[in-house]
Amino acid sequence: MSTAKHKVIFQPMGVRAEVEDGTSLRSAARDAGVAIDSICGERSTCGKCKVVVQRGTFAKEGITSRPEHLSEPGGDERAYWEKRRKGIEARGENPDDYRLSCQARVCGDVVVMVPEGSRAVQQVVRKSAREREIQVRPMLRKLYLELEPATLDNPRGDWERVKAALAAADPVTRGPNDLALEIDALAIDLPALRALQRVVRAGEWRLTVTVRGGREVVRVEPGFAERLVGLAVDVGTTTIVAHLCDLPSGALLATEAMMNPQVGYGEDIMSRMAFVAEDADGLETLHRSVLDGLNQLARRVARQAGMKASEIVEIVVVGNTTMHHLFLGLDTHALGVAPYVPALHDALDLRARDVGLTAVNDGATVHLLPITASFVGADNMGVLLAEAPHEQDEHWLVVDVGTNAELVLGNRERLVCTSTPTGPAFEGAHVEYGMRAAEGAIERVQIDPATLRPRFKVIGSETWSDGEGEEAPLARGICGSGIIDAVAELYRVGVVTPSGKFAPDARSPNLRQGENGPVYVLAEAEQTTIGREIPITQEDVRQIQLAKAPLYVAAHYLLDAFGLEQPDRILLAGGFGSHIDTEKAMLLGMIPDCPLDRVHAVGNSAGDGARIALLNHDRRREAVDLLERIERIELPVQPGFQDQFVLALHLPHMTDPYPHLEGLGPTRAANPMAAKLLGGDTPATDEETD
Amino acid sequence: MASEEKHLEEIKQAVIDGDSHASAQVTSDAVTDGVDPLIILNDGLMAGADVVGQRFEAGEYFLPELMLAGRALKAAMAVVEPLLQAKYSSGEADKGDTGVVVMATVQTDIHDIGKNIVASMLTATGFEVTDLGVDVPLKSIITKAQEIDANIIGCSALLTTSMPFMRDLIDLLDAMGERERFKVMVGGASVTPEFAEKIGADGTAPNAVDAVKLAKRLIRQQREAKGVS
Repeated sequence: MSTAKHKVIFQPMGVRAEVEDGTSLRSAARDAGVAIDSICGERSTCGKCKVVVQRGTFAKEGITSRPEHLSEPGGDERAYWEKRRKGIEARGENPDDYRLSCQARVCGDVVVMVPEGSRAVQQVVRKSAREREIQVRPMLRKLYLELEPATLDNPRGDWERVKAALAAADPVTRGPNDLALEIDALAIDLPALRALQRVVRAGEWRLTVTVRGGREVVRVEPGFAERLVGLAVDVGTTTIVAHLCDLPSGALLATEAMMNPQVGYGEDIMSRMAFVAEDADGLETLHRSVLDGLNQLARRVARQAGMKASEIVEIVVVGNTTMHHLFLGLDTHALGVAPYVPALHDALDLRARDVGLTAVNDGATVHLLPITASFVGADNMGVLLAEAPHEQDEHWLVVDVGTNAELVLGNRERLVCTSTPTGPAFEGAHVEYGMRAAEGAIERVQIDPATLRPRFKVIGSETWSDGEGEEAPLARGICGSGIIDAVAELYRVGVVTPSGKFAPDARSPNLRQGENGPVYVLAEAEQTTIGREIPITQEDVRQIQLAKAPLYVAAHYLLDAFGLEQPDRILLAGGFGSHIDTEKAMLLGMIPDCPLDRVHAVGNSAGDGARIALLNHDRRREAVDLLERIERIELPVQPGFQDQFVLALHLPHMTDPYPHLEGLGPTRAANPMAAKLLGGDTPATDEETD
Repeated sequence: MASEEKHLEEIKQAVIDGDSHASAQVTSDAVTDGVDPLIILNDGLMAGADVVGQRFEAGEYFLPELMLAGRALKAAMAVVEPLLQAKYSSGEADKGDTGVVVMATVQTDIHDIGKNIVASMLTATGFEVTDLGVDVPLKSIITKAQEIDANIIGCSALLTTSMPFMRDLIDLLDAMGERERFKVMVGGASVTPEFAEKIGADGTAPNAVDAVKLAKRLIRQQREAKGVS
């Protein structure tokens, strides 16, 4: 007899789980990779694990969610909520929807909202590892040995005994993708050597030896121990993601994410570097904080897979150059000032214990992928390994968009990279009602070309603002992808002109006079949680223009280096890149012209690249080869940079024809300003653009 | 022969349109017809620059329009400047609220679009600007300011990591006993009024139009202070 299964969805992450009847919500969440806090140890006293049941039918999921689909609260939990009943009611909410997830047991389908305060790690952007074909060529091997017991007649040392047994076992156990042992060069790491005598005897002369690179014994365990795991880590400026992988098979065992604890010292890489420069202990503080975070994350991801973090014997870390340096405790000063030089470009193999990764095995090694340039880091190398533009005949343009954008263009013949700051507008900063991508943020906008009225979708809700039947979601602000959508739509329907100005003759009921000129109201006061209208202002449009122009210019100079008009394919990488509507991105001119079906959001490629390097040592060498081959260009010193920047401020561009936008946006006419600008300081001739 | 008003109107319009071909032409025409170069400057070119500034503030104009207007002004200035110098060769006669500015992107930074636009707007509105370029050592900025007896040092940094060098510039001026001699304007995408105040600068501006206003205000302050002393 099998027990009934129920569907549970955790919002705002949108994580889905199928759980057995009677499972507590908190453990269901944990199994699904959603960490919910508990300080009291599930005693119904701390309230840190509270969740809110979302009532209603979620058609897309085929779920009807109601409070009765959870077990009745017990005495302790009832007592906890009784004290808070009035407060909840005062906020206009239903106290019956509130539950302690450590107590509530699932007895039907349910959708719950995990409030920010209940998330063990707040603001987690879950970047899940996508299925990707990775050929496994592990750096490490495990060999099971049965030694001849030592006797008075045979008093060889334990290590010599192990070496002899390894020499015999190697050819017998070696798989086609395994590295052969170099017995003559074989070394043993000191902690392993210290453990050896005890291990050999505890296992009664039977032991399992972990060999790295065919040359070094890094771990010894008594008896037969099969498990061999490694960790691939993407240290992002905002989010750190760790993938635990089985090294022999390549299987992904667990994934955990956390907010980078350095966020408290500055939101972006520039402010972290400034903190290092300004604070006497800045470097040490940031180094410690990321290592504390990583140690914690290693323990969590191991626990999720039902093991200890000390099982982890190999770690690959990718991150932008600043994260890479802070992880190692290297000064970031030279990265942030011209000529922008990193401490090193090369790949690195270091003992985890020397770096300060103490949660993992004593003999574990950390491998860092090479750095392409000061602003094009090991994370970008991860993206290259994952997407492999260098294996193509076609010219691929890889764009990793964030507050700093890294771009690589090329094919098997040649690769060129560059980077540019884009400004904070894409992350919701410098925008009047901008916010980070969190619950309640407007993330999608559509404008009806006939009525010129908008509708929107917010994070944490499946329903559009004009959705029928369902309760319409309320907005709290607007995040990066929402702003991009909004400005692209305003341009598409003609409310905003190609120059970025609100069209004086546009007749939309939502185009109103704000305090500082015209605004387009996206959400009326009653559609928001803040009780005020959420508008797009003229200044907001300008901020987006200033953020998108350098992206286009970067692509322009890369294409120029190849003498190309457009790339054959565009890949948008990074957490933000995967949230952008590719058509909107092109309408705005964030990316150059390309057939739309050849523009792809590829998600967290850097993390995928880290997994590839973890599982396949050949690909690590490939990264080093790429480092040698990749050319770099520095944008601000390119001839004509300023003019290109100004041309790229227009939507989508002042002169670039964008044939693939034909029919998608307004009809474009030649812009007389272009001739004046391109005429330069010398008075323009009478030749106009055609 | 066209009337003076018509000439000035044409000059003003050429600036507003950002048409450097036209602005040089109509300014030459006005000069040929005997319009006083100082009147051309104030009631033609500057009047046009004012309209451009207003439209920029209203959100109607953006950087492309601003840059074109700057170029149109520069083309016209090339025509009137020699005449102004010949006529008012005593130099000090009446510079009004403009003066001499040294501009640079400070050492360790190579970003200069913003600085260039401010420099061209200052030039276009009658300031005498020496632009030292990017990644300029602090000492070179100060030496140049002393050499040409500048009123204002305008420095810029886009990257947060390079911003401390603007503070260092001011500290260096202090240490040299030269702080009172120059007004210091700072700029860059991450520069805030709070930052400017904290490092002891005389001001910052969010855009080129406001930067021109700030520069004029600083010049007036400087002249008043000198007048009093």
